[in-house]
Amino acid sequence: MSIFNMLLRNVVRRSVFPFAMKERRKNGLFLTSFYKTFPHRTLNLSPCLKDAEPNPSQKLNLDEWKNVMKSRRQEEICEPTSKCEEDSTLTAMREFVEMRRLASRSVPKNVTEEALKTLMELPTKSSRLKYLKFLAEKEKKINARKAKQEKKKQDQEELLGTVEKRDTDELKNTLLRRFNINTMENLHSWRAANAMIFGQPLVFDMVYENCMSRAELGNAVDQMMECEGFNRKSVDPFHLHYCNLSVDGPYHKGFSKRYGEAWDKLLVTVTEQCYTNLFPRDRLIYLTPDSRKIMTTFEHDKIYIIGSLVDKTGQPRSSFAQARRLNLPTAKLPLDKYLRWTSGRKSLTLNQMLCILLTLKETGDWKKALQFVPQRCYDGFVDVDLLSRLNDAKF
Amino acid sequence: MAFFLQASNWGLQTFLGRCFLFQPASTCQKSLALMVHLRSRDQVKGLPFTTSSQSAVPQDLRGVHMLHKSRSGSRDGEKEKRKESSREEDKKKSLMSPFSAGAAKHRSVRQRTPTSMRLPRLSKKDDIQPPEKPLNAEEWQEWRTRLKHLTNFETVMLRRMIKYESSIDVAKSLMADVVLRNGEVKYNLLLGYLILCVQQKQVAEIFDIYDIIKLRFKTLDPGCYSLLIRGLSDTERWREAILLLKEIRKVTPPSKGNYGYCIKGALNNQDVKLALELYHEMVAENVMPHMDVLQAFFDTCKGTQDDKLKKELLDMLLYFRENQLYPNEAVMQSIKLWFESIPGEKWTGRLTSMENGWGCPVCNQVLETIELSKKEYNILKKKIMKNVMQGNDIFKKTTPQELKRFQDFMENRLPYDIVLDGLNIVRCVSRICGYNVCHPELWHTLCYPTDLSSRSKSELFDVVSYFAQQNLRLLVLGRKHLNEFQFWKWNAMTARQGKVDFFFTENISQDDPFLVYATLHSGNNCKFVTRDLLRDHKACLPESIQQLFFKWQRGHQLMPFASRTKKIYFAPILSYDTVVQTTGDTWHIPYDDHLVERYSYEVPRKWLCLRRK
Repeated sequence: MSIFNMLLRNVVRRSVFPFAMKERRKNGLFLTSFYKTFPHRTLNLSPCLKDAEPNPSQKLNLDEWKNVMKSRRQEEICEPTSKCEEDSTLTAMREFVEMRRLASRSVPKNVTEEALKTLMELPTKSSRLKYLKFLAEKEKKINARKAKQEKKKQDQEELLGTVEKRDTDELKNTLLRRFNINTMENLHSWRAANAMIFGQPLVFDMVYENCMSRAELGNAVDQMMECEGFNRKSVDPFHLHYCNLSVDGPYHKGFSKRYGEAWDKLLVTVTEQCYTNLFPRDRLIYLTPDSRKIMTTFEHDKIYIIGSLVDKTGQPRSSFAQARRLNLPTAKLPLDKYLRWTSGRKSLTLNQMLCILLTLKETGDWKKALQFVPQRCYDGFVDVDLLSRLNDAKF
Repeated sequence: MAFFLQASNWGLQTFLGRCFLFQPASTCQKSLALMVHLRSRDQVKGLPFTTSSQSAVPQDLRGVHMLHKSRSGSRDGEKEKRKESSREEDKKKSLMSPFSAGAAKHRSVRQRTPTSMRLPRLSKKDDIQPPEKPLNAEEWQEWRTRLKHLTNFETVMLRRMIKYESSIDVAKSLMADVVLRNGEVKYNLLLGYLILCVQQKQVAEIFDIYDIIKLRFKTLDPGCYSLLIRGLSDTERWREAILLLKEIRKVTPPSKGNYGYCIKGALNNQDVKLALELYHEMVAENVMPHMDVLQAFFDTCKGTQDDKLKKELLDMLLYFRENQLYPNEAVMQSIKLWFESIPGEKWTGRLTSMENGWGCPVCNQVLETIELSKKEYNILKKKIMKNVMQGNDIFKKTTPQELKRFQDFMENRLPYDIVLDGLNIVRCVSRICGYNVCHPELWHTLCYPTDLSSRSKSELFDVVSYFAQQNLRLLVLGRKHLNEFQFWKWNAMTARQGKVDFFFTENISQDDPFLVYATLHSGNNCKFVTRDLLRDHKACLPESIQQLFFKWQRGHQLMPFASRTKKIYFAPILSYDTVVQTTGDTWHIPYDDHLVERYSYEVPRKWLCLRRK
């Protein structure tokens, strides 16, 4: 909306303003306090501006604008806060944010108390600016989404108007009632329930909750939700286990906040216990990008473990160390074997891992499974058959 | 740019020269010379690591073109000469410590690391040239209609002006136009205009804008404060800059630039006391001052009689010492002049480089030793164990069982004289075909018949036996997969002599921490051999310990590298510590040569020697 308004304003300004100005100038009504038009030009004798057609009015008002500025009242940046108990540091912070906004930096328009307090807690200047930027981006996204929804609403209303004109008395002859979302949900839940009884277990190791920052943890929770959703919708779901999940730990809090009521009805096994207590050791395989062993085939009788860790700060070998501590066999995906890797780290996100494993479970086709690796990381698949033939020819 | 081309040129040259197809002094040589316009390394202009005083030959870039026609047939003789001189050069280089400035650059060239040529980035926005002279309202209107696609015309325009450093009048006319249209100027435009004024040092304008901003806004953002401080600090209103510094402090700690300009402003106005106060404040806040600030101090206080002030400046030099900072050439000159200007004390400063490896050639002063004190040693041992070996998770690098095994292994066998990183040596040295092992201190040469088939096994063997022959106790560290090299064969042989021990970690463990640990626990005389710079392990340590570690590393690491003459050299270890140091009557200050690019893991090679008569 606001963009539209601005456009309109610009158009009006550009089309109408010049004419208006001319008109006004003729009438001599135009802000004569600091802008005077002269009926004739005087000669300018400065040698450096020979080709410039000097305009004495210009010369005059070059510094005039400052006086205009000075004559204006001081702007109140902050609306006088009604809360007297708000301490001075918070006010200073608020002013800081406000001034950054005036300097057209990326800061959010509305800063909540909570965000300000978080800002205060951040230790360095750069971390504060980063956080502000993050908030600004978030705000932008939310606003964009709202605008989109508004538009959708309007379109729907228009559509409805046309629909209402139609005759609604006549019933269509159909075999089935229209599928609604609940029908599908039901089906997925049945499948998930089935998997809970008969499915192959897949373990998420939730032990890393304390070595992640707040942002990373939020991302991890999002990824876990994606995992659960994708798993539920598949033809043959895994039986998901969230192991080592401490009650009222950061992960637990994150899940309860995001899932709300649904958390207790989720068709996954959540446990505080370690996977080594739940399953026989010889069937466990820990998937970690630092492993030296490359996974060749997906084994249906093994239990794969994924460390649910989002690691932006680059602490390598965390999950590897965990596997080593428990003395478990490890494996990594054969990314280099099948993909011509170009850039990016080889630790994939949790939902990518789950998609890959599910596809492998259903088809056993690596090429199909590795479609889920982000396209930006590689530039095509390695022709494995050709390579193997070449190797055969060599030896 | 030219340097890159040069480097790739040598790369090709050395590559072709090393290939078996191009045996030297054969007919291939001619064709090689025809193909590539060869040039030896010491004749390249402006290379940072040339130590020779030969005059540089201006280079023509035609040598870059692969199919460049040769102009003269008599290249061979020339090439021979060049080869000779480059050999000399190599010998000189080999005597350079691996941690002295420019060494890394040299190594990277030797190793033929490909240098990617960067293309200039194309900006997304089409580049708009700002107007050359002040415009009036109608003309600005024209501009606006011409650049309809810009949503924030004024901001973009101002940015362009800043980029092209337009005259201040053009910006003024723009501001006037904005006022005329909207009746006011937004804060960000004022900021843009202020940047332009500060950039061009338009003092009167800065004052005006400052007054306007003060009138209009109660508080400002730190960026604006910084600009104002920078603008006001070298004018007569510099005291207001100091006030602004206090304003900044309410929200964020001031940056080194903020402090720097304030200090310079105070010094320019001969208020040394205030400058010192500010300086102490920033040091207390752990903000490293810029070099030019320190230079300003030394420049301003020339010829001072004040003993207190003198002490302050000497404390600054000690600050350099504590934080392993090195002055650059300009600061060094200021320091030298300051010392020489002290009335009543006849200081003389000379520039030198410690070629002899033990002390100053000018005044024969023995420099401080690189060895750590007992206390420092113990701290380092503890920290290495705690931060590098164990870290926040011991399983990342090793396992407790393995660590225990290693400690038990070491218990009866300590101390060693040399600890070798087996894998590293096998990897690095195997690039060379046949070679001899040389140590510059001994010039003790061993020749081996090279058997190409067993080469990969013999490198390590050669290096180890070279040390073993000098009756040194050795420990070779590796991973278990080194065992493929049939170590048992000569393991048995050397074990009989009881000089060489082996320790193999698991294949999934890291072996470098063990190397450091073993060397440290063997005591002060133990050295270790690896080409690894151990930077990632250094990074595990806290800041203050990193300097200790680096000092210890400089004094204990033997870095093997191969010359073109198929010999292995070990870079010499400097016996003195490169740090600002004094004995009261002498000062020795290492400084950065402005021609040499120094990396963070290197120390300068040039020194300033100051003596009192």
